[in-house]
Amino acid sequence: MSSKPDSALIIVGHGSTVNPDSSAPTFDHAEVILQSGAFGEVHCAFWKEEPSLRQVLHMVDRDDVYIVPNFISEGYFTRTVIPRELELEGPVTQKNGKHLKYCEPVGNHERMGELLLKRASEVAPGVDPADCSLLIVGHGTNLNDNSAFAAKREVDRIRELGIYGEVFNTYMEEAPLINEWDSYTTRPNVVVVPFFIADGLHSYQDIPVLLGIEQETGTAASQREIFRQNPYVLRGRTLYYASAIGTEPAFAELILAQTALFDAQTSTHTASV
Amino acid sequence: MKRNLTTAIEKWVAGGLKFVGQLSILSLPEGGYELRHAEDADKPDLDTFHSPSKARSISFFDNAGEYRPLKTAPNLQHGWRLVLKDAAELRAALDHFYPAMTAVWLSHLENALTPVALRDTLNRQTGMYAATKRLQDEEGQELVGRACAASSCTKRILWNFGPNQPLTTLEADKLPPAPHNESKPPSQMPLLCHEACNILVAACREVVKKRERAAGPPPDPSAAHPTPHPTPHAAS
Repeated sequence: MSSKPDSALIIVGHGSTVNPDSSAPTFDHAEVILQSGAFGEVHCAFWKEEPSLRQVLHMVDRDDVYIVPNFISEGYFTRTVIPRELELEGPVTQKNGKHLKYCEPVGNHERMGELLLKRASEVAPGVDPADCSLLIVGHGTNLNDNSAFAAKREVDRIRELGIYGEVFNTYMEEAPLINEWDSYTTRPNVVVVPFFIADGLHSYQDIPVLLGIEQETGTAASQREIFRQNPYVLRGRTLYYASAIGTEPAFAELILAQTALFDAQTSTHTASV
Repeated sequence: MKRNLTTAIEKWVAGGLKFVGQLSILSLPEGGYELRHAEDADKPDLDTFHSPSKARSISFFDNAGEYRPLKTAPNLQHGWRLVLKDAAELRAALDHFYPAMTAVWLSHLENALTPVALRDTLNRQTGMYAATKRLQDEEGQELVGRACAASSCTKRILWNFGPNQPLTTLEADKLPPAPHNESKPPSQMPLLCHEACNILVAACREVVKKRERAAGPPPDPSAAHPTPHPTPHAAS
């Protein structure tokens, strides 16, 4: 990975006014990248936390600035909210002497499937994937069309590899429903990986209830000592539940990879003009 | 790189800056800096930490362990001191305690900070916050007086309610500070708000929605010209 000491990186997350778990992975990845020296400066910015998208550019000393949305897919935030709040005019914006480079969201990167497989393997050590059903669970609903599409894209990629006995994309609010997981899986082991950026309300509180591993919505991730006690034996299967894919430490590599992809695409475009 | 915020902070502290929000800043004789809650100035039994990233976990929770979604709320937790080895670490810690506030202050000093009127912030909203465009002046002013009061947020507000429409419900200590004297840095750095935060925008939405729910559903346009309703036997 190339080093950009004369460039700044802004990682944009959603954030939350309810708990600190939403922004935690974004801060964690920023810390890792800063320590790596890959960028001269690394800042976070959020829609619902501070620093806000309206504040963050004041924090940046350097003129060459990469902006990477830490979002699971393209969508309303990456296409409307972030460009509007940062006053971006396209992939490249010149503003107050700064050269702003708007990269694709982390979840778009082609290595997402690799990370999902890594997390699935880690959460069920010693389990033969051939005897395993892998479920990638997203939100669903029309508001999140793009995240549902992205989850399906990743499932298709993983299924083609033929590593797991079967692979499903499944959702909280549309078919195939996650709460009906035992009706369409056939393997003795079931691994569930939430296709979310953080262990927020959905992956930490809602999905465990839908899976049946908890009876009622629990407290936020930040208020617990431990994550989960895998495996869970229920509905005649052995179930392993992972934390949200966005908490995977290798996500920091994908953030950097999106900046490299931006450079590659820009140079290709420039060369072709 | 036209400016260097780290160097600016170093100069401010050397020039007499002692307080940022509820924090006190101390230059250590052996080099480096110490941060603590200003009200803990004389407390001997504080938990000592040495990493700027520790500021993140301290800043996220108040004394009772409750999440602090607004870092400039006057509820910074007590009982700790943070020892930082240099100005770069000080900058990083301050960015966790009071995100963007040192940077915004520097922009203010450089005349590079443009306040945005609340109306302009609301008028560009889309999605669920588009409802804030329907905020009425009176209810908006009342909300700002309540939500942005010093008991809720310690920032001083630079923005107007609307273009050429000042805020009318805040105390003087919430409004822009007196012009800065270049020759003498302040001992307390003002926390500046140049544009309404998302918490206020969300509160504006709640005010609008509450009023509209209380008023009931909007009138049905077709009610003015009702379609003749067939009698039960008309079809036959």
